[in-house]
Amino acid sequence: MIRHLAAASLLLSTACLAIGPAAAADPGITDTEILIGDVEPLTGPPALLGVAASIGHKIAIAEANAAGGINGRKIKYVLEDDGYVTARTIQGVKKVIDVDKVFAMIGISGSGQSIAVMPVIEKSGIPTVIDVAPVKFLWEPPRKNVFVVGQSYEEGIIHLVNFLADKNPGKKWGLITQDDDYGITVRDGFDSVVKAKKLNVVYSGNYKKGQQDFSSDMLQLKDSGAEVFLAGGIIGENIAMMKELEKLGIKPVTGIFWPGRIEPVLKLMGPAGDGIYAVDYVEPFAGAAGKAFLEKAMPLVSEAEFKGINRYTMTGYAAAKVLIAAIERCGKQPTWACTISELEKTRNVETGVMAPISFGPGVRFSNQKLQIMQADTATLSFKPVN
Amino acid sequence: MQYLIQLLISGLAIGAMYGLIAMGFAVIYKSTGLVNFAQGEMTMITAYIAWTISTTVSGNVFVVAIGAILAAVVLGLVIERLVMRPMLGEPVFATVMVTIGLAVILRSAINFIWDAYPHGLDIGMGRGIVHLGGIGVRTGQIAVIATLLLLLAAIWAFFRYSKVGVAMRAVAADDRTALLMGISATKVHALAWAASSAIAGIGGVFFALSYDLSPAMFQLGLKAFPATILGGLDAVLGSGLGGLLIGITENLAGGYLGSGMKEVAGFAMIIVVLMVRPFGIFGERDIERV
Repeated sequence: MIRHLAAASLLLSTACLAIGPAAAADPGITDTEILIGDVEPLTGPPALLGVAASIGHKIAIAEANAAGGINGRKIKYVLEDDGYVTARTIQGVKKVIDVDKVFAMIGISGSGQSIAVMPVIEKSGIPTVIDVAPVKFLWEPPRKNVFVVGQSYEEGIIHLVNFLADKNPGKKWGLITQDDDYGITVRDGFDSVVKAKKLNVVYSGNYKKGQQDFSSDMLQLKDSGAEVFLAGGIIGENIAMMKELEKLGIKPVTGIFWPGRIEPVLKLMGPAGDGIYAVDYVEPFAGAAGKAFLEKAMPLVSEAEFKGINRYTMTGYAAAKVLIAAIERCGKQPTWACTISELEKTRNVETGVMAPISFGPGVRFSNQKLQIMQADTATLSFKPVN
Repeated sequence: MQYLIQLLISGLAIGAMYGLIAMGFAVIYKSTGLVNFAQGEMTMITAYIAWTISTTVSGNVFVVAIGAILAAVVLGLVIERLVMRPMLGEPVFATVMVTIGLAVILRSAINFIWDAYPHGLDIGMGRGIVHLGGIGVRTGQIAVIATLLLLLAAIWAFFRYSKVGVAMRAVAADDRTALLMGISATKVHALAWAASSAIAGIGGVFFALSYDLSPAMFQLGLKAFPATILGGLDAVLGSGLGGLLIGITENLAGGYLGSGMKEVAGFAMIIVVLMVRPFGIFGERDIERV
């Protein structure tokens, strides 16, 4: 009996040695597939960004799989819902890393959620590309395995306010922001331009997250005589503000930020939204690049998913393209170390939906080029402003 | 002066929406002794159904209104029969937890059945702006205030003069005695859930008409609940008036004390009122609290 057990052990050891390289490889990779994990808000109001971003990931993955996958391996996408609840984000990320054993991570929910889950991702060492909520904390200081595609909220606001200030010299300004980390970032960006350009701010409001009625806030704005207005809401808030201004019979020059730059918003704002300015680093769908992206996406996703496409689909698509390209450059036996090294070597990768993406040694943030757009209610689209 | 009037009108309009939903809370509490934490979600579902009717069946205001009310009634009855009736006789805490679970399910249902995008409810009216003495008011705002006042009068008459209304009051006062008198408590409960769903649903539809429809709409329930507490958890009419008070207070605070005070003011008022009248302005003293 003992002799049989010893023989079996020897056989097992030999077998393990024979498949040594595969057993020693990083998780999430077999001879036929590579797993990429993601945790997004797929339910609740923020599903608007989470679902759209996941569609972007799916488009890039479907495109790569249609072209034969990554060096012959098909990509499998493992997606978890966090409902925009930080505890669930952490739980979800731990699940996809420890239970599903994915090879790389992508996306990762909102700003607060990705910040909270950073210690888990950093400790695991898994190659990660973040695309939904680019906030400075994620790349300052740079983390070895975490790369961020996008532009910082603060830079975005600075770009928008500078543009509006140059276009409307000497005008009175109004600002309203949300009472959370998003609102603080918007306000910080705004304040830095106010200081530099000595803008005359006559109204500065701060609303509680979840507020839906802005009648008194907009009445105060009107009363202040503000001529240029930075609406620091996200989606529903900006719609409510613009409709309130319409009711009050005023139409200040208005700027909104990219989280709210989605086309359905224009339909809901109606004439009140015509001509509002927005800042973004992804291409507008009304432009040639946007149209080309939609054409590419149509055969790769379902009809329902196609309807769910918005700007976050573009950010998701770009990030997935960068990650897939890096894994691909690692050849037949990709590892985490190689993927991270190749991500670092990313130079001017064209995705068609934003300016070329680059990282570098110690550079984990792609720092995308910004552009100003203006709403056109007639076509329910945002068009680039030259 | 115009500034003040504008604040009051806007406050009354949003307050009327809170009031309608608050009445939904109170109808259920009064008849079943239960706080329905899924009230905001039920309101949201009704508004989404109204939007679906307007985009798929007809955008006619009467078709949408009747369809939405019927759908709300069915929703209330289904929830009562399938979810709440099996909980009869169970501890109040367990029943309240069931309504919390129901809230989460209904909230998630929005994304499964519809989507996360904001939508506008267009029924051809309610969005126009009329000018009253130089003050811009949306027709939907006038309509919601009028609807609340009409419903307050109708509900008062219902509880005061109708047999069913008296039966509901009897069950609320003492369900065992009411049972001995031949009143079916389960029927009264079912009616309460249906009525609550319909009344709150009307508030939700008006909200969707004035603002927009989104998965964040369930938060209306969180705003309306303080109105119920203020008016009295067992006072249906008082809850409606509580909504108006909360709406006006919020707007006056937001307009005169600053944006940040808007959300705080309503709750500050509740604390003060409850310190003086723990059972709410119009509530009865012997409330059994959850």
